[in-house]
Amino acid sequence: MFRIDRRYFYNFDWVLLSLLLGVCGMALLNLYSASYPPSPWGMPPYIKQCYLFLLGISGVLFILFFDYKELHFWNYPFYIFIILLLLFVLFAGNAAGGAQRWINLGLFKLQPSELAKLSLVVTLASYYSRKEKAEGYGLKDMVTPVLLTGLPFLLILKQPDLGTALMLGIIFVSMTVFAKVRWQTLGLGVALGSAAGVFAWFYLLKDYQKRRIETLLDPAKDPMGQGYQILQSKIAVGSGGVSGKGYLEGTQGHLHFLPERHTDFAFSVLGEEWGFVGSAFFLGLYFSMLLWGLYVAMTARDRFGVFLSFGVVMLVFWQAVINLLMILGFLPVVGIPLPLVSYGGSSLLTTLLAIGILMNVRMRRFQAGQNAEKVEQ
Amino acid sequence: MKWSGYNNLEEFSEHDDAELDSLKRRILLAGLVILVFTAIIIGRLWFLQVFKGDEYKNRADNNRVRVSEVAAPRGSIKDRKDREMVTNRPSFNVVLVREDSNDVDELLKKLASALDLDISMLWEKLRVAEGKPRHIPVRLLEDVDWETLAYVENHNQEFPGVRIEAIPSRVYHYDNLAAHVIGYLGEISKKELAARDTDIYTGGDLIGKMGLERLREIDLRGEKGSSSSEVDARGFEQQLLKNVEPLPGNEIKLTLDAELQKVAEDLMAAGDKAGAVVAMEVKTGRMLVLASNPVLPIDQFVGGISHKNWNALLDNPKHPLINKVVQAMYPPGSTYKMITAMAGLGTGVINKDTVFYCPGHYYFGKRRYHCWKHSGHGAVNLKRAISESCDVYFYQVGLRVGVDKLAEYANKFGLGHKSGIEMEHEKSGLTPTKDWKKKKYKKKWQEGETLSVAIGQGFNLVTPLQICLMTATIANNGKQLLPQIIEKVTDPDGKILSQFEPVIVDELKDEKKFLQLIRNGMEEVIQGKRGTARKVRIKGLTIAGKTGTAQVVRLKQYKHLKEEDIPYKFRDHAWFTCYAPAEDPEIAVTVLVEHGLHGGSGAGPVARALLETYFADYLQLAAEEEAEKDKGE
Repeated sequence: MFRIDRRYFYNFDWVLLSLLLGVCGMALLNLYSASYPPSPWGMPPYIKQCYLFLLGISGVLFILFFDYKELHFWNYPFYIFIILLLLFVLFAGNAAGGAQRWINLGLFKLQPSELAKLSLVVTLASYYSRKEKAEGYGLKDMVTPVLLTGLPFLLILKQPDLGTALMLGIIFVSMTVFAKVRWQTLGLGVALGSAAGVFAWFYLLKDYQKRRIETLLDPAKDPMGQGYQILQSKIAVGSGGVSGKGYLEGTQGHLHFLPERHTDFAFSVLGEEWGFVGSAFFLGLYFSMLLWGLYVAMTARDRFGVFLSFGVVMLVFWQAVINLLMILGFLPVVGIPLPLVSYGGSSLLTTLLAIGILMNVRMRRFQAGQNAEKVEQ
Repeated sequence: MKWSGYNNLEEFSEHDDAELDSLKRRILLAGLVILVFTAIIIGRLWFLQVFKGDEYKNRADNNRVRVSEVAAPRGSIKDRKDREMVTNRPSFNVVLVREDSNDVDELLKKLASALDLDISMLWEKLRVAEGKPRHIPVRLLEDVDWETLAYVENHNQEFPGVRIEAIPSRVYHYDNLAAHVIGYLGEISKKELAARDTDIYTGGDLIGKMGLERLREIDLRGEKGSSSSEVDARGFEQQLLKNVEPLPGNEIKLTLDAELQKVAEDLMAAGDKAGAVVAMEVKTGRMLVLASNPVLPIDQFVGGISHKNWNALLDNPKHPLINKVVQAMYPPGSTYKMITAMAGLGTGVINKDTVFYCPGHYYFGKRRYHCWKHSGHGAVNLKRAISESCDVYFYQVGLRVGVDKLAEYANKFGLGHKSGIEMEHEKSGLTPTKDWKKKKYKKKWQEGETLSVAIGQGFNLVTPLQICLMTATIANNGKQLLPQIIEKVTDPDGKILSQFEPVIVDELKDEKKFLQLIRNGMEEVIQGKRGTARKVRIKGLTIAGKTGTAQVVRLKQYKHLKEEDIPYKFRDHAWFTCYAPAEDPEIAVTVLVEHGLHGGSGAGPVARALLETYFADYLQLAAEEEAEKDKGE
C-alpha cells in the first residue's frame, strides 16, 4: 500500500505544479501589495500566507504518498469530523461580524466551512463513482446525496455564511449534473430549488443578505454601502488601464478606497497595479490550471478519480468565477474569496489540498491492474 | 490487484469504452463552460480597463486628489501719501467637508461640545450650504482665535472632514474712514455667482459689494492659487502633489488724503452733523476728500450684516447708507448765484457795474418775493450782490436771462448731469427748463418760478460734488475737469498699470473773462467787511467762497418760530463752498450740512478746518515771514 513506485516520480504532474507555483507566486506578490504598508502590529498577512503556503505544499507532497483511493474509505470519517467541527463552531466558535465561523488555531483561524466544501466533493465523488447508472440517476438515488449536502449546507447557513452555503449547493449541482441525472429528476430539482429559494427570501435570509442582492439589482439604492464597495472595486480595476499603475503604485488600494483589499477584493489590487496585460495573463494562468485539472479528470484511472478531479476543479472554478464576477461588478458582494489569491488560511489550505488531490490522481493515472501485472512480470 | 472491498471502484478497462466516451464528452463540456466564463471575465476586464480605462482613471484620481483653492490676498488701498488704508491679514476659518465625514450629526455634536459652541448655529451654516456639492468646504466658524485654531489642528483625527482654512481678510487701518468710497466685501451671492465667470468664483468667495471694492473688483481680486493633495479614503492628507501660489491683487493708490478725510469726518461727527464734505484739486480734478456723514460702519458688514444692524441703518434719520457726496440731491441755495451771475454777464444782461436797488423784497405779479435781509441791501452791484448774497439782485438778473439760459450756464459748470466720478449711483441733479416742466408736469413754466431758480431754490437740485465741481471750474478759469479718485494702479511686481492724468471735460471760451468778476465777489464773501462768511477767514490765506441755505419745506406753522425751535427735519440745509488761495487756486472745498441752517455758521467751520490742515505748511511759512517782518519793523 505504501509502496513507492519509481514511476510515480516520472508520472508526477510537473505541469500542474508549475501552474500552481506560478499562480501562487503572483498571488503572494499581490498580497504583499494589498496589505501594504504593513500594519505595525501582528504578523503581516503575506508572511502568514507564505507560511501557510509552505505548510500546504508540504502537506500535499506528503499525501501524494497515499493512493487517492484511500479516500474512498476515509471520506465518511472525514465527513463526520467536519460536521462535528461545524457544530462546534456554531456553539463555541469565534464570532466576527455577527457570524460564528472560526476555530482559532493560533497561526490561523480554521474555518470548517472551507474544509466542508472539499469534504463534500470527496463524499459525492465517492457516492457517484460507486453507483453507476447508464440511464442516469432517478429521484430515489438522489436522496443520499441531497442529505449529504443538506446537512453541512444548513449548518453553514446557520452561521450565517450564505456565500459558502451556496457554494455547497453549486458543487452539488455541478457534480450531480455531471454524474448524469434523468431529465425529470433534474426538472423536479429545479422546481424544488426555486421554491426553496423563494421561501428562503421571505423566511430565512437575514436583512444584510437581502440588501446585498437588492444592491446588485439597483446599486443607486445604497451608494455608501455594498454599492460603494463594488463601485470602488470597478474604479480600481478600470483605472489600471492597459498596463497598470505599477507594482505597489495602486492608489485605490493603498489609500483605503478599496474595501477588503487583501481578502475578497485582492484581485482588484492586481487589476489596478498590473493592468489588463498583467491581469489577463494571470487569469490565463489560473484558468489553464483549471483546464489542466479537467484534463487530469479525463485521464484518470477510474471513475472515482474522474469524479474527484472534476469536483475539485468545480470547487475552485465556481469560487473563482463568483469572486471575479463580483469584483468586476456582475454579482453582489457574497463573501466568496478567490482561491489562492485572497488572504485566508482555511481557503488556501483547502485549495492546496484540492490541487494535491488532482496531482495524486494524475500521478496514479496508470491502471493499478496493469501496473501489478507489469510488476509481476 | 483489485479493491474487492469496494465493488464499484473498478479501474477502466478496454470494454468500458462507451462509458469512458460519455464521461469524456461531459468533461469536454465542462471545459467549454470554463472557457466561456474565462472569455466573459476577460471580456469584462477588457471593457473596464481598456475601453473605459480613462474614465475610471479619472474617477480614481477624483477619489484621491483633492484640489483646494487658495484665496488670493486682495490688492491693498493707499491714500495719496502712501498711507495704508486697507490691507490684508491672514484669518483662519474652521470648515467642514461633508464628503469626508461619515456622520455629520455626531461630528457637529462633538465639535460643539469641544469648542463650547451653540450647535444650532452650526446646523444653520450647514442648512444654508445644503445645495452645494459635498466636496466644497462649508464655513462653520470664521476668523477664529489661536486657541480654537490650535485645538482643531491638534485634534484633527477626531473630527474627520473638519479642517482649517486660511484666507486673507481685510484690515481697515482707518476704521470706517471713507467707507462710502472704499466699500466693503461680502460673500458672493447666488445671483452674482451666476452672472460672473465661474472659473474665477466659487461659492463662499468674498466679492466687493460696494464702493471701489466692487467697482475695482477685477483689479483688486488677484488670482486664486490652488493646492492639490492626495488624500486617503477617510479624507486625511497623504502628500502634497502640486501647489500654485495665489497672485495678489493690484494695489490701488487713491487721490484721497486720509488725513484731510479724517479731519472732515471727525468734525462732522463731532457736531453730530449729517452731510457731505468734498475737496478737489482745482487744476487736476484729483479728489482729496469725499466724506459722507454719518459714516458707513464697515465693521458691521464684515462676515455679513445682521438684520438688526441693517434695519438700524435703514431707519437712521441721517441715512448712513447713502453716500451724500453723489447720491443725495439738495437745492443749491445761494451757491447757485454764481451761475445766475455768470448767465447775466454772458448774455450781456448785466455788466460789472450794473446796479439794482434792493428794498428787501421784490414784487413780481401779485407776489412779493423777499430778500433774506428784510431790511434791504439798498443799491447793489455785482460784487456786493455776491458777497452779501442779495436775493433781489439775482431775481432781476434771473428774470432778464430766463430759466433756459440759466440752465445752459449751470450745465457749463457741471450741474444737471453726472460728473462721471468713479462712484456708484451718482445722481445727475436737476437744472429745470421750460421743456422739462412741460414734459414732467404737463404745465407751462411760470415766470415766478424763474425767480426761485435764480437764487438756487425751486426745482433746482444738485449734489455736493457738483457744487464742488462748479467752484473748481470758477477757480480754474472755466476749465472743467473730470473728478477722479484713483492716482495709480500697480500690479504685485510694481508695474504701473494706470496712472492719473487730468481729463478736461468742458472749457469756457470768450466768457472766461467774466469769471474774474465772480471770483472778486466770492473773495469778498470771506474777506469783505460785510461778507456772509467772514468767520471762515484764516490769517495768511486768502479764501474765496459762497454760503448757501437750501430751503427744505417752509411750513407756515414754523414761520414764526426761532430757527433752533424748528424740528430737525424741517430745518434748512447749510452750504458752504470755497477755494483757496484766491490768488492762485489749489483746492476747492464744499461742505453741505443737512438741516444745518446757515452756510456760514453751519458749514463754514468744517471748510475752515480743512483748509487749515491742507495749508498747514503754507500757513506756518507765512506766519514766520510775518513774524520776521514784525521784527524788522
